Amino acid sequence: MPLFDSHWVNAWREAVNNDPVLPIIGKYFTCDFLLGFGDKEYVVSVREGRIQWVSDQVSVETPWAFALRAPAESWEKFVQKVPPPMYNDIWAMAHPLHGRLRMDGDVKVIWQNLRALTWMLDRMREVPVAA
Amino acid sequence: MAARRDPIVGGYVYVPYNNYEYRVFYEEAGKGIPLVCLHTAGTDSREWRHQLCDPDINGRFRVIAFDLPRHGKSIPPVGFHKEEYRLTAKFYSEFVMAFCDALELERPVIMGSSMGGNICLHLALNFEDRLRALIAIEACDYSPGWFISWLWHPHVHGGEACATSVFGLMAPQSPEEYRWETWWYYSQGGPGVFKGDLYFYSVDHDFRELCEQISGKVPIYFMTGVYDFACTPEMTEKTAKKVKGSKTIIMEEIGHFPMCENPVTFKKYLMPVLEEILQHEHAPARRR
Repeated sequence: MPLFDSHWVNAWREAVNNDPVLPIIGKYFTCDFLLGFGDKEYVVSVREGRIQWVSDQVSVETPWAFALRAPAESWEKFVQKVPPPMYNDIWAMAHPLHGRLRMDGDVKVIWQNLRALTWMLDRMREVPVAA
Repeated sequence: MAARRDPIVGGYVYVPYNNYEYRVFYEEAGKGIPLVCLHTAGTDSREWRHQLCDPDINGRFRVIAFDLPRHGKSIPPVGFHKEEYRLTAKFYSEFVMAFCDALELERPVIMGSSMGGNICLHLALNFEDRLRALIAIEACDYSPGWFISWLWHPHVHGGEACATSVFGLMAPQSPEEYRWETWWYYSQGGPGVFKGDLYFYSVDHDFRELCEQISGKVPIYFMTGVYDFACTPEMTEKTAKKVKGSKTIIMEEIGHFPMCENPVTFKKYLMPVLEEILQHEHAPARRR
């Protein structure tokens, strides 16, 4: 399946919701956040470490706590089974030295949930590359 | 059957510095040239357990790793609760030498990673007569971007946030068990200690205009992993070009914590450096 289309995002959601660790480390991770893969943006609604829904109906009226936006090329590297240097982690990509991912909004929520969030995003590497 | 044991012995030494006596914990193993190992920011000497236990290393070096005050088992100074901790280059470099003096170490080799690597530049500039060699791991002349408030904030769990902020500094090829062990060390730092160390790492340490003043009398080995996004290979290479008497080793498939994230891969790169230091040691005798 093409990377970052709605099928891919739903496959990621399934991987997240089948993950045995997230209910433990994500017990208090509850928020809606925005994921931007280039021009393609989704709002991901998380409740207690599980993804309740993902929507691509994003407008100026769609609330979200924080946003992670990066060019699709950055995410393509991030989701590889063995990601290359500087693309293996969202903080690596977002660090001021590199600027390959932008963190916007209430950044405090990111830091409060950093472990569950990064674990959740790492599950992207479990999504089958080809449908 | 006798239980399996590590050859490490721990001890406490009182280190006088600036009219205060610090109670400092250290671990050591082996005999030979003193090899003092410096831990990274916000954590402690446990990071060096593999090198302390390696007979190829402790057979010829007296390997010593100590906890800076406020780290591991080294208690903070009295009154710590009334001040914001900020590690400075002056305190750090002078304290390393004070520790070496307390143990009466003669011209030790200093090996440090991250902030322990960066301090090697200060040691080279200010204490060259008292050192044998420096192994500066994941080091460069300027490493900005880490002195951030979220690492010490009442709304954020310090242990979880500090540890997870460094997790991506490790290479995906490094064994999962060692990456999570390193995460565990990081989760145990005292409140504000990681951030306080990062004051040195990202603010007080700025050697961009000072690298060229290092004489080159003490050999410096720069060793950097390709997955280090805090100090990239390019940042190390740029620094090393300005430092006389330095060599640069870029390590594949490893990140910011070579000694503890992947001791096997790190050893492949470290042993030739240690061999070279030993050869230097014997070279004058051969010439005589």
